[in-house]
Amino acid sequence: MPSLEVSIRDMERLIGRTLTPDDLRRLVAVAKCDVDSVMGDSVKLEAKDTNRPDLWSSEGIAREIRFRLKKSGFLSYRASKTKVEVIVDKSVKNVRPFTACAVVTNLHLDEAALSQMIQLQEKVASNYGGGRRDIAIGVYDLDKMRPPINYTTVDPDGIRFVPLDFEEELTPREILEKHPKGKEFGHLLAGATRYPIFIDSAGEVMSIPPIINSNFSGKVTGNTQNAFIECSGFHFDRLSVALNVISTALTERGAKIGAVRVRYPDRVIVTPDFRPGRANVDLAHFRRISDLALSSSKACALLRMSGYKVVHRKKDRVEVLYPAYRHDIMHERDLMEDMLISYGYDKIRPQPLKLPTVGISSRIEKFSSLLCELMIGLGFQQVMSYTLTNRANLFDKMKLKDEPVIELENPVSSSWSVFRNWMLPCIIDFLSSNAHVDYPQNVFEIGDVIVPDKTKETRTIDRRKLACAKASAEVGYQDMASVLDAFLGSLGCQYELKAGSHPSFIEGRVADIVLDGAKLGVLGEISPEILEAWSIEIPVSAFEIDVTSLCDVLPLENLD
Amino acid sequence: MPKRLRLTDEGKTYAERGLPELNLVKVLKQGSIPMSQARELVDSLDIALQWGKKRNWIRIDGGVIRLISSPDVVPEQEALIKVLKGETIDEEVAKILMQRNLIEVESSFVEELKHLEGQTITKLTPELMSTGLWRGVKLRPYDVRILGKKVHPSKRQPFDYFLSELRQKLVELGFVEMKGPTIETEFWNYDALYQPQGHPARDWLSTFYLKGTGLGDLPSISKNVKRAHEHGVSGSTGWNYRWDPMRARRLMPRAQGTALSARTLAKGPLIPGKYFAIARCYRPDVIDAFHGIEFVQVEGIVVDSSLTFRNLLGILEMFAREIAKAKEIKFIPDYYPFTEPSVQMSAKHPAMGWIEFGGAGIFREELTKPLNVDVPVIAWGLGVDRLAMFKLGIEDIRDLFSRDLDWMRTKTVV
Repeated sequence: MPSLEVSIRDMERLIGRTLTPDDLRRLVAVAKCDVDSVMGDSVKLEAKDTNRPDLWSSEGIAREIRFRLKKSGFLSYRASKTKVEVIVDKSVKNVRPFTACAVVTNLHLDEAALSQMIQLQEKVASNYGGGRRDIAIGVYDLDKMRPPINYTTVDPDGIRFVPLDFEEELTPREILEKHPKGKEFGHLLAGATRYPIFIDSAGEVMSIPPIINSNFSGKVTGNTQNAFIECSGFHFDRLSVALNVISTALTERGAKIGAVRVRYPDRVIVTPDFRPGRANVDLAHFRRISDLALSSSKACALLRMSGYKVVHRKKDRVEVLYPAYRHDIMHERDLMEDMLISYGYDKIRPQPLKLPTVGISSRIEKFSSLLCELMIGLGFQQVMSYTLTNRANLFDKMKLKDEPVIELENPVSSSWSVFRNWMLPCIIDFLSSNAHVDYPQNVFEIGDVIVPDKTKETRTIDRRKLACAKASAEVGYQDMASVLDAFLGSLGCQYELKAGSHPSFIEGRVADIVLDGAKLGVLGEISPEILEAWSIEIPVSAFEIDVTSLCDVLPLENLD
Repeated sequence: MPKRLRLTDEGKTYAERGLPELNLVKVLKQGSIPMSQARELVDSLDIALQWGKKRNWIRIDGGVIRLISSPDVVPEQEALIKVLKGETIDEEVAKILMQRNLIEVESSFVEELKHLEGQTITKLTPELMSTGLWRGVKLRPYDVRILGKKVHPSKRQPFDYFLSELRQKLVELGFVEMKGPTIETEFWNYDALYQPQGHPARDWLSTFYLKGTGLGDLPSISKNVKRAHEHGVSGSTGWNYRWDPMRARRLMPRAQGTALSARTLAKGPLIPGKYFAIARCYRPDVIDAFHGIEFVQVEGIVVDSSLTFRNLLGILEMFAREIAKAKEIKFIPDYYPFTEPSVQMSAKHPAMGWIEFGGAGIFREELTKPLNVDVPVIAWGLGVDRLAMFKLGIEDIRDLFSRDLDWMRTKTVV
């Protein structure tokens, strides 16, 4: 979700009325924005619709609000003819095949306008353009360029120019190494033998997309009156949307848009393409879904208020045009939502559900809650841990050899990099965090562990486990055996304890818990070596059992 | 003062193993035995013979012991057991047992306690109670403000308790609980929810991916999902790109509970049907007081042909009233890739003020149609973290999974 910063005064100017902070809060909601904070004139917004880049600047938000206030507002755009041409060399095909461009004249960029333009450009490229991978956007001072413009490729060491906000000339390769933007986005050109470049007819470099503009023509300031915009990337349709979003936003401030002939080796495409889109909506369907009894003309009024132009209506079938900056409309539901927003969510009366359904909680949760009660009755405090942990906790500090576990490829922190495949380490970790707290400490946890299993749909299986531990100066193996006996006895389990062996427990003081010939878990006195590794200076006895198997073998009809 | 009787050691043996004469009778019931063998079969044979003859149960004929009559009830045996249990017995029987030296009066014990008579003592004992001597003593008054050794209660983990209460509430409201795997295919987590493969939420920064787990399986309905993404279904344009089944097979920890709703829909839900899940979810994020990489989502679906946008608001209103105890609510437009229209609800909690409490929407037809569901499906989610933090009195979201035993011990339960 893009977060934006806008100026209240600027919004007032764009909407054409004054705004109290409350007005603002209420009105930006129609553009699916939340107010995060207000600091004087500056407002931080969160734009929630990730599929509508046209709502990521004050121009677009103001436009959406204005429609609702004026009750209509379809905007059709036209790009006037210009002589500006872009010649696309065939070599770009392998690195960054497409571009869509526009000319902007009559710019008046005050501080607010300039910051909105830069912000929109950044948000579109990062949130809609896959972090500049799919869409990179450059804006240039047209008066410093000599068209036609070449979009071609260059040897990484084959040219030198001053990149934006630098003073020295660098080669493209040096830019990737030295310039902050080069370091940030250089990976997008990894492996390329030639880099894409925009260069004008005077031989002045305009930019190396998707990295950086030149400091000469690629710098736009409050004095810039005429601009050139290019979007480059891999999907022409998306570039076209990005170009429309940015250029139509500028028209909100009085700028005029001019067309650019983009000459590809095999064809010429004139951009921007401002033809409106077409969509249909069935008003009967709208009434059914909304449960609002609106006449067709009222429903059409809602469409107009949402920025659509009703071009045709036959009974309940309505055809509309939508403006060129929108690309999110896939289905009539998209129109219906806009109609509901125009109607006002606050004016729609909630209708309680009256469906005869029977609630049921899952068997494993019911069973777990029963076990929870038993453990509390036996004097154990419940704890709850993250299922994410690390190899050191699961294995090294438990004296186990590494086992196959589910591991994150992109962990945020190495402390939370693998999923637990057994529960006891979480309990020992808990005791370790409370070494200074009053003993005895009796704790337990019931939760899921995740185990690799190639035969399963997701190559893993969740097992519910229960682990519990007693930590006290007096505690020994038999105390925990008694707890286990009381616990399994209450479940009517005929279990056996068989001498076992497990590196986490003292040799000769560890048992396999066996139920119906299958291992249900392990019980024992934790080895002092392990306690030392966890900085626990008191004896600990513990057991861990597999609740999923218990749930499978026990006759639990009473739970249902 | 009543006499307190107790078993002698010999009495204790007989109480547990039976009187010798009875044991002899038991053996004789199988047939007569010669004296020479009897000693091996019966303990304390001399006593057994003495009392057996006295009772006219046995006779010795030419070195063979024979049974004459066998007793129905043996009051001595019953009395021994009563004394063992501390119950009173018949005076006559007591006399016999006393003669046989099987019981004795606990005179020494009474004597020991007698000197306490008239004194002020600290501890009331079982002995004082059983002998009745408590009547003759005074119990010292305590400073009632002084406590004993610290006692730590064992309780539910506060956040887990909160969640189980919530589960109970949702069941009461008629919702069926959904469960599903923690590790999902991207298919169920994203593709089946009509989130395009190039969606920003699916990138490295917003989704955890896994190392070396290989690829998961795709269900047969994936071909419908492919069509919905590429060309659209039920009048939609679709996302207009080439859908990659290998991408959909990639595995990831569940990033949203909605994956469970998709699975439920594909399995064929009840109609009408109401479902919920309390699901652990995982997303990369900064780890601080407000964000976690592992968190709990509470969400679900309602399925019925009659559902409308007004019902959607109705469901959210019900949750606000039943769960957040809110009297006032606000609905504002929202966006989820898989619902249209979408709503966010703010609820005015009596103490916390306005909180963003939930979101909901009607699943897009591009989502439901490929899963073979032809009726409207309302999807809802509740933001319970802040409510839980408020109820638990904590300010750091990480404390929902507290590692602080002291806090859990001292935390109040109301």
